[in-house]
Amino acid sequence: MQSENIILGFETSCDETAIALMKGDNLLINKISSQVEIHEKFGGVVPEVASRAHAEMIRNLFHSSINECGVDLSEIDIVASTDGPGLAGSLVIGYNFAKSVAWALEKPFYAVDHMVGHLSAPLIEHPNMEPPFLSLLVSGGHTQIVLVEEWGKYNLLGSTIDDAAGEAFDKLSRFCGFGFPGGPAIQNLSEGGDPKKVDLPRPKTSNKFDYSFSGLKTAAVYFLQKLSEEDQLLKKDFAASYQEAIVDSLMDIFVKAIKETGVNNISGGGGVMANSRLREKILLFSENNNKKLYLPSPKLSTDNAAMICIAAKNELITNKMNIDDIRLSSIIS
Amino acid sequence: MYKLAISTSGEYVSAAIFEEKLLASFVSKTNKGSTGILLNQINELFDKTKASRNELNALYLDVGPGYYTGLRIGLSVSQGLGAVLGIPIIPVNGLDALAFAAHTSHRKICSLIDIKRNEFAYCEYMPVPGGVTRESDPQVISVENLEIKLSDDADKKLLIGNWDLIENKKILTDSNTKLAEPKFVTAENIYNVGEKIKDYPNFNEINLEYMREPDVTLSKDTLSGNVKFYD
Ligand SMILES: [Zn+2]
Repeated sequence: MQSENIILGFETSCDETAIALMKGDNLLINKISSQVEIHEKFGGVVPEVASRAHAEMIRNLFHSSINECGVDLSEIDIVASTDGPGLAGSLVIGYNFAKSVAWALEKPFYAVDHMVGHLSAPLIEHPNMEPPFLSLLVSGGHTQIVLVEEWGKYNLLGSTIDDAAGEAFDKLSRFCGFGFPGGPAIQNLSEGGDPKKVDLPRPKTSNKFDYSFSGLKTAAVYFLQKLSEEDQLLKKDFAASYQEAIVDSLMDIFVKAIKETGVNNISGGGGVMANSRLREKILLFSENNNKKLYLPSPKLSTDNAAMICIAAKNELITNKMNIDDIRLSSIIS
Repeated sequence: MYKLAISTSGEYVSAAIFEEKLLASFVSKTNKGSTGILLNQINELFDKTKASRNELNALYLDVGPGYYTGLRIGLSVSQGLGAVLGIPIIPVNGLDALAFAAHTSHRKICSLIDIKRNEFAYCEYMPVPGGVTRESDPQVISVENLEIKLSDDADKKLLIGNWDLIENKKILTDSNTKLAEPKFVTAENIYNVGEKIKDYPNFNEINLEYMREPDVTLSKDTLSGNVKFYD
């Protein structure tokens, strides 16, 4: 792996069709074609709908990405794509498109784990980030605390036993008709609201680093159902209280893990990591506790292909892999 | 110049390469459409024929009906190749490809493709000199309705395609219906129809023949209007 190699990356594990090109440390382009409008009317991501949309969008996105960054196809040195985890019907689109692009270009293909993509995303803006660090990965599909002891050595300390944090936002938002995706909708509504107005639980689990969110949603729904006309609940107060409960739950357990592992570097990723209240709290914690915080910006927190490029690059460099070593065998296996 | 045809719509994945005539082809049975097979076949075809990628000038794609994942593997691979090599993708309907393969018959041709959940895509054709013509639009049909359809009139029929996947074959073979080959779509079938197509869509207008709208199973529980928020 040469430092100035051009990597073309694909990410289609959920409802974002994403393509990025990276040359050395420079992100040449980072395009995301979101399906939010398509899934909005369902109040959530419908896998079959997502898969059809990826199949329709990927080639146009590829052409516009290449055209806009002015890279000639022959200059691409390696093609990378997410190969999971994610929605099977969605993954298959980016993965096969990417592999066939690599084959046609006679360039190597490299498969990247989606979660390693999230773990590596901070490197784009913080190239000096180094393990060991503890990362909180939160989205509609995953809620995990991962200890990165060194690159390639990932230790999953905890995850959700039921809903992901993003699902907790989506489900309540759908129930209340607040909009989709639920995280941004509830964040917007909660502006100026009182997060202490409604007393909602911060669920605990038997494994100290695991999360649980399904009870929170049930409690919120129950609270709303027994609300009377005289209570005069403000939407912003309710939204702020619900958001606070999710953010508090995420932080409580993450902080416990930080303390127990004694790491000095902390990080995060995933769509929920774009939530401003969560970012505020994690920043405050890092400042008060003298921890180095490496958060990707909101755009690099949500699913994107730049993280696939940087993860591929980082793995190739870490493993001292030569591009020629991974040539054809990886495309056709 | 070479032409490539691919079919990934069913239990068999196949790819074939042509230069005026067939040069080489592969057909492999898949376990749930494993994604590696198609590119592996394509790679082998190029190795075998010593063709270079730049000498490829058209791609014929089985756009279904069939299994969704397989169809999307075929489409994504075609789109990737098309994008890099700058070649057109000519979409071919699998029911048409099956029927064309049986066009020397004198019977009405009934083309059948499994689309899972006990349903099939079905279309009727009449043989004409040099080919077939559609007698109906492709439709989704259950096994029960297929049985009714086949015994509906006195036409002599040839049932081709995935009839093999129907367990009780007795219901298919009344005195008018004959079960025949091909039993599944191959890349060669696709090419034979595709090479006759003169007008084909732009790459962003290629639609897969899903035949069904996506299932939406998200919970519909919403606030039933009995809670009033104050803005
Ligand atoms: Zn993600």
